[in-house]
Amino acid sequence: MSIRLLQISAYVLVLSALLLQRAEAASPPPALYTRSQALQGASAFEWKCASCHGHHLQGGVGPALEGPVFASAKSGFTIQQIYEFLSVEMPAYAPGSLTRTQYLDITAFLLQQNGYPAGSRALTDRIASESTVPLLFQAVVQAPAGVAKSRAGAGKPLAIPRTNAP
Amino acid sequence: MTRFQAFLPRRCLWRIVLSAVLLGPAAGAIAAGYPVVTNARLLHAASDNGWLMFLRDYTGDSYAPFREISTRNVSGLKPAWDYKIGMRQGFEGSPIVNGRYMFVTTPKDHLIAFDAVTGKVLWKYQKSLAGVGLKTVCCDVVNRGVALYGNNVYMATLDNYVVALNAQTGKVVWQKQIKPADVGYAMTLAPLTLEGMVIVGTSGGEYGARDFVVALDANTGREIWRQYTVPSPGQPGSDTWPKGKIYRHGGGSAWLTGTYDPSSNTLFWGGGNPGPWLARLRPGKNLFTDSLQAFNPRTGQRKWYYQYTPHDSWDYDGVNTPMITSLTYHGRRYQAIVHADRNGWLYVIDRRTHKLIYAVPFAHAISLAGFRDGLPYTDDAVRPAVGKQIFTCPSFLGGKNWWPASVDPATHMVYVPTIHTCMTMKGAPTFYKPGLPYLGETFKVVHDPNDSNWGALQAFDLDTGKRAWNRETRLPWDAGAMSTAGGLVFSGTPQGHLLALDARTGQVLWKSPKLSSGIIAPPVTYRVDGTQYVAILAGWGGATPIWGGDMVKSVANIPVGGHLYVYSLK
Ligand code: HEC
Repeated sequence: MSIRLLQISAYVLVLSALLLQRAEAASPPPALYTRSQALQGASAFEWKCASCHGHHLQGGVGPALEGPVFASAKSGFTIQQIYEFLSVEMPAYAPGSLTRTQYLDITAFLLQQNGYPAGSRALTDRIASESTVPLLFQAVVQAPAGVAKSRAGAGKPLAIPRTNAP
Repeated sequence: MTRFQAFLPRRCLWRIVLSAVLLGPAAGAIAAGYPVVTNARLLHAASDNGWLMFLRDYTGDSYAPFREISTRNVSGLKPAWDYKIGMRQGFEGSPIVNGRYMFVTTPKDHLIAFDAVTGKVLWKYQKSLAGVGLKTVCCDVVNRGVALYGNNVYMATLDNYVVALNAQTGKVVWQKQIKPADVGYAMTLAPLTLEGMVIVGTSGGEYGARDFVVALDANTGREIWRQYTVPSPGQPGSDTWPKGKIYRHGGGSAWLTGTYDPSSNTLFWGGGNPGPWLARLRPGKNLFTDSLQAFNPRTGQRKWYYQYTPHDSWDYDGVNTPMITSLTYHGRRYQAIVHADRNGWLYVIDRRTHKLIYAVPFAHAISLAGFRDGLPYTDDAVRPAVGKQIFTCPSFLGGKNWWPASVDPATHMVYVPTIHTCMTMKGAPTFYKPGLPYLGETFKVVHDPNDSNWGALQAFDLDTGKRAWNRETRLPWDAGAMSTAGGLVFSGTPQGHLLALDARTGQVLWKSPKLSSGIIAPPVTYRVDGTQYVAILAGWGGATPIWGGDMVKSVANIPVGGHLYVYSLK
């Protein structure tokens, strides 16, 4: 083996160790909701929230509900805090006017749009109102409804399934 | 031009020639320079040809002594120029005019300088809000305009900067952040310049902020004083709060520009609602929330106060403009403050004795039930609690929200933009978390059972306290009022009409064609070379479409988008 080759393989080793470490540090966020909840949530969001928070959650008269500025370490929101807040005080023109199920679905949708994966267990009122899981925007977003898609950082807004909400 | 030739580089000279050609003859006046805004000019802003500050002058009366446009000829008003700005959020700014320079702010803190005669854009500035979540901005991402001093223009921003720009170039001279963004505080108000200071106040009553008024050195941005509207333990007024740390989230936002009385050297500034909204969480009167505060403008020391709503549980911010005027009531002459409060009462307060002269309801008012010995008391039956829903009037949006009223010294009337709303309200669980609202109540705005209209423009005779006229409207009256010596009151409608009304009768004498959007801003007027202009921003938005409950439906189809319109007789 030439010295050069040795050098390269050492380099590769170190690099892969580093990568492994990173992957571990950024362990995948927990799966807290089902895909069907997020789908329902997307349509409820479009119908009850998008007019102020934007069709792509990008913000309007209300703040953005997706991305690194919304779900930042600096904000330090937990899932419980966001759920408790939105289910009591939103939508702004009629706080608390949605059903429990709708609020849970919308929370699921917000989680999905901030990069949290869907799983087999549904998000319940109990789980959501006790969850101390931090809400942190994940760079790789689980695309909705089978559309394989990922992105690094804040890129183009994800296409959100549209509903026929009037 | 030849005098300059000697020392101007050729390229520069060519530019001057070129811009003179492009701008035409109008450019001459602009090129002649920017009229410096001195303390003396600010003190006499009432008679200036421009519109030098938010509500024209330190009295906050939005009255201009111009009579070119009058009841007799107003029907001949014509468009002078207009400028499409765009953006889908609300336009609440007052165009500020000095000489031929006009400064207009937009939502999200953009600032545009125009030639006030031709409408030519002189420069544009945009405050970067990159990385700002606008999390703690309740009522649309608005800005209400600039202040002027020296050669500078000052803007307060949603991320809590005060930015000073050169009026002629738009270059930033200094900028200073007075609080971090997104943790409860924001600024939407037009700053006030006074004796070399720029004075601003923070919003944040919905987010557990502890709000304050702050004065900065107009030349450098150095902080001169900061006065909190909620006292810390041991300070005067702290005994009106529970012991402990709750004062740290006590609200008292100072989100609207104050006024100034040079005769007593007093700065008046309103205090907003206490936080959290649910009053049971903070027993006591909660000074100096919902209060008129009188400050020494040099030090920020509080001289006196008058609380409009004690121990508020209904979000009745006391920030609406404390207008300075004099009046004769029951044969006595008074130096007064006139203030149309969110709680539905018109307050007339003696600036000498600091006592109430009189108060009259201008909207259906239940929560603030009446007065004893000149002090207000509330109806405790309509205090919400967790598990207890109440119905009261007006709604938290107020009998009147921030839209400036106007006091006309010729008619002795105050013109009050009014909304007729009531609400249900109920206690709810809450917790304090920076970046989230801190309310403890849920609510819904509904119709006033006594009035099927959402709005009105009303006139009250200040010498009697009696209503002089009332113009009811199906939609809410969400725009400011401005009166002139021409016997006119100008204001705008959600449908997008600028109106000129007869100040004595309320009769509409002129109505603009339908503008591109609804109006929530105050009109202004100014004079250049003997021509009087009236300017208004159209651009629907603000609090009503967000928090308006049942009112939202009635305004849901109003087109959005900002557009500046200027009218004159020529
Ligand atoms: C009519 C406008 C409007 C509608 C509709 C609306 N919101 Fe909001 N929302 C706001 C505003 C304005 C804020 C800013 C905070 C405040 O004052 O409550 C906000 C804040 C929030 C926040 C806190 C964000 C942060 O970073 O602090 C969340 C979460 C939220 N809304 C969720 C929702 C959900 C979910 C819906 C639909 C059920 C909804 N909103 C509907 C206007 C609206």
